[in-house]
Amino acid sequence: MVIALFVVATIAAVLLGLTDIVTREPIAAAQKAALHQALRQVLPAHANDPQHDQIVLAAENASPADAGTVIYPARDKNNHLVGLAWEVVAPDGYSGSIRILVGVRPDGRVFAIRVTRHQETPGLGDGIVKNDNWLRSFVDQTLTSKRWKVKKDGGDFDQFTGATITPRAVVKAVKSALQFFNAQKAAIVARLAAAPTTQPANTAGGAHE
Amino acid sequence: MNKSDILADGLWHNNTIFAQLLGMCPLLGVTTSAENGFWMGAATVLVLIGSNLVVSLVRNVIPKNVRIPAYITIIAAFVTIVGMAMNAWMHEMYLILGLFIPLIVVNCAILGRAEAFASKNGVADAVTDALAVGLGFTFALVLLGGVRELLGQGSLFGFSVFGESYPDVLMFILPPGAFIALGFILAGINLINRRLASRAATAQQTTTPTPQEAA
Repeated sequence: MVIALFVVATIAAVLLGLTDIVTREPIAAAQKAALHQALRQVLPAHANDPQHDQIVLAAENASPADAGTVIYPARDKNNHLVGLAWEVVAPDGYSGSIRILVGVRPDGRVFAIRVTRHQETPGLGDGIVKNDNWLRSFVDQTLTSKRWKVKKDGGDFDQFTGATITPRAVVKAVKSALQFFNAQKAAIVARLAAAPTTQPANTAGGAHE
Repeated sequence: MNKSDILADGLWHNNTIFAQLLGMCPLLGVTTSAENGFWMGAATVLVLIGSNLVVSLVRNVIPKNVRIPAYITIIAAFVTIVGMAMNAWMHEMYLILGLFIPLIVVNCAILGRAEAFASKNGVADAVTDALAVGLGFTFALVLLGGVRELLGQGSLFGFSVFGESYPDVLMFILPPGAFIALGFILAGINLINRRLASRAATAQQTTTPTPQEAA
């Protein structure tokens, strides 16, 4: 009895191990490709490979579990910094947390934002993915150029018909991303200047196309 | 049992959704569009074929008192394999279906087939049954997903049917719409079954009664 169960579990474990070996690389490649596509949308035209040039900014007095913020820099062909992107998490979505990739120009203006992961209600909260006009309302804004709340809360950003919680969470998260950038800008720029870069893009940038 | 009976049973007469009303969790959870329903159904078909095949193979080896944990282990292994494969090669759909993929493990329809059919039948019959039940389940998911997508967003498989001006009817995208649409679909299925039964009855009255009548 015990032996039969043991054999079943062992065979299952071996099969899962084999599947993991087979799928590990495709999964990593799929995630990298998805991130690559998202980065192209939130960063100005660039000549480097932002994923390869990423730096990790550890939060001050961070716990060991906190891996810090991964920052993806975009540089033009003269190696000038033209934009930065990093992911922020809005923990207060309507159903679960929302992950947002925020791209900013070096002067602190938003270049574009893109939601990379969410479980919001289709047709309601998923406007944060599908509603282009709403996404465009973030472009070129700075911390001071808008009131970073949805209109219902006295701010400048639209909520959706039937969905306020979702856009409210996103606006709040993007605002915190800009605050983070303003506070950490000097540190980020210093780290980027020290970090090695891929120039031109064909060294590493084209590899995963 | 012959193969065509197994097929008809799984696809229609004993359809997991329409006749047994099992597997409601994935049904109501993912059927916001026809495409989501289709891929959820496809994942379920793969798991069913795998679990029915293996359960049928080991049916004489597994002692009776540990069969349920053994079946669940087998099913969970297949679900995890299908989930990993989707993550690797259908990354976007994996993100959309999300939590519902691992939850296939607890779809009682799958354990039900292992216990009620695969553990008592040969490999060929068990795989036929898995295919029939799985396709019947997929059919139900696509039908409900299609109805909800059409009424809720005015499109089918992502293609606009009613044009851009169609206002999204949120009711059908949200869970209550799933229950309402399912209720109407079940009513329609019952109506079809009743028509078929009464037609069969009149056909039998006009022809001479056969000895197989009782069957």
